[in-house]
Amino acid sequence: MRSCLWDALAVGVAASFFAFTAIAADTVKIGLIAEITGPNAEAGNYTLNGAKLAVDDINKKGGILGKQVELVIEDNQSTNPGTVLAFTKLGGNKDIPAIIGPIRSTQTQAASPSIAKLGIPTMIGGSDPSLTKVNNRWLFRCRPSDLYSSRVIANFGVNKLKLKKWVIVHSTDAFGAGGAKALEEALKEYGVEPVLVQGYTNNSQDFTPVVLAIKKSGADVIGSYMTNSQDVGIFAKQLRQLGVTTTWIGSASIVTDTAMKLAGDSLHNTYGIADFNPDANPAAKAYAAAYRARHKLEPDVYSSWAFDAMNVIATALNTAKSTQAEDIRKAIVGIKGWKGVEGTYNFDDNGDGLRGYNIVKNEAGKVTFVEHIDFNK
Amino acid sequence: MEALANNFQVLFQGLALGSIYALVALGFVLIIRATNVVNFAQGDFAMLGAYMMVAFLVGAGLPYWLSFLLALAAMGVFGLVFNYGVYYPLRHRGFLPVIISTLGASIFLQNSVLAIFGAQPKRLDNVIQGGIQIGSVFLDSQYLVILAVTMVMVAFQYFFFEHTLLGKKLQATSQDKDMARLLGIPVALMIAITFIYSSMLGGLAGVLVGPVLFVSIGMGSIIALKAFAATIIGGFGDVKGAIVGGIFIGVVESFAAYYISVPYKDAYAFLMLFLVLIFRPQGFFGERVAEKA
Repeated sequence: MRSCLWDALAVGVAASFFAFTAIAADTVKIGLIAEITGPNAEAGNYTLNGAKLAVDDINKKGGILGKQVELVIEDNQSTNPGTVLAFTKLGGNKDIPAIIGPIRSTQTQAASPSIAKLGIPTMIGGSDPSLTKVNNRWLFRCRPSDLYSSRVIANFGVNKLKLKKWVIVHSTDAFGAGGAKALEEALKEYGVEPVLVQGYTNNSQDFTPVVLAIKKSGADVIGSYMTNSQDVGIFAKQLRQLGVTTTWIGSASIVTDTAMKLAGDSLHNTYGIADFNPDANPAAKAYAAAYRARHKLEPDVYSSWAFDAMNVIATALNTAKSTQAEDIRKAIVGIKGWKGVEGTYNFDDNGDGLRGYNIVKNEAGKVTFVEHIDFNK
Repeated sequence: MEALANNFQVLFQGLALGSIYALVALGFVLIIRATNVVNFAQGDFAMLGAYMMVAFLVGAGLPYWLSFLLALAAMGVFGLVFNYGVYYPLRHRGFLPVIISTLGASIFLQNSVLAIFGAQPKRLDNVIQGGIQIGSVFLDSQYLVILAVTMVMVAFQYFFFEHTLLGKKLQATSQDKDMARLLGIPVALMIAITFIYSSMLGGLAGVLVGPVLFVSIGMGSIIALKAFAATIIGGFGDVKGAIVGGIFIGVVESFAAYYISVPYKDAYAFLMLFLVLIFRPQGFFGERVAEKA
């Protein structure tokens, strides 16, 4: 009985193996590294959804190089070591011409040396500006880098809202400190010197000293780089409680679902930046409708960037008419004026595709699109 | 005038957060006295209490007072389970295995709550909405509730330990277990009661601070770190010390953040800890334990 079972199993495995190779021969395989398990599993699910939606679209339109596209998915467990491991696994598969990598900067940093060694064109979503400037020719960013978030915040505040007395509030971690410095420099271009630059550590329980300092400074606008949505919530609440009604333009965390739920009306009428907004452009509108219909969820940046990344890969491979890494690189760098859901892609030699952000506003708890600000350089 | 108002505002916030540190520190101290070990899951008691409150109030939609009582009752039951699951089996094995056991419990608790409630922080509303506005000073109602409840708890604590038979039995147990046993006090039961009470105290702190800090998996660890510093500053294992130490840390870090620098806010608590350890190692109220010749 026992050997019978083993035989059956062996036959089954062999059969499925042959079936698998038979299909594999007719498809173009694209690697996808996502946070399927671990603390960011929710984000990973969105990434998968976005990429799958793109693959279905592409396959309906004839696929890549006349073949159907197939995703080869690797879990990075939301960790840096997991990401490196996932790249090693996908890199070992010679049938994979391009990979959609992680959206986190630290994960990209960790895997960057392996990617450089493998030489596989990899789409990334990490927004740390330095990622595409570290002698790695194979990273292509399908999101705007933090360089542009600060310029968009400064541009919108100074030019559109005509506000000149700035306070910068920032977390003291790498993201917050870097963002604050970039915002200071961006403001300098408009001849504005902030009246106060105020740091705080993540997970602060009390923002009273920060709020009192803002009150004293007499500022008319707050620009913020806060890492944790929870800190945004506590800060917003205390800010309004102590009677500060100053205009506030924040980095992406200010319009996260978590921050808006926690802070409630304390965040009403604040502005934020978002690389994805369903109303930003026709491509985004169509994408949002398709995403809602297919996944019964609201689309967000975790899904939209993967959707764009998959489409960039398809466009590049179809233009290059090749699956060779050098040809793909040339094709990606050659992409100009390509309209994705996050904006118009103009890749440069470093591999940066986007140079702008959407400005959005929290209107009574709903995120509404205000405008899209793009830069040429 | 404005400076005075600002100082008052800073003092108020410091006192309120200090009270939370004090409540958690109190839980630490009671367990230290009863068992001679530090319970590293004490902060997670606060976290768990806050989540219980969320479950009853927001999840089940029960009225505030009922949710509050149920959350405390659930924390009491949890304290008992904690006693028999985490402490009791290791009670004869010295203090290190028990400490590691509490650390393990802390990790287990955080991940269990993560699995059940998800990673997104939850919102709890104030017991009473709004607050009191005096000139430019705003006294958040929740902070006022925190201050009031802490004062009541301190009074209750004093009455309970000094004027009830159960309180005296608990004191006897913490002072000398063998002697207590000889006097017919059920030591194991007393320790179980200590865990139940500490768990409820931690839960109470969590429920109180939930509306201010929001309810998240990590909320306990942040509070516990300061509360632990408070127990050492106050005098390791001293009840008065825990309360004074907690409020002291809250006020000092609030003023230091306002006058010196905000990013170093968390450092001041530990700077105080260093200074106390250097100049008064036994803490504010601790007695110097002299080695017998």
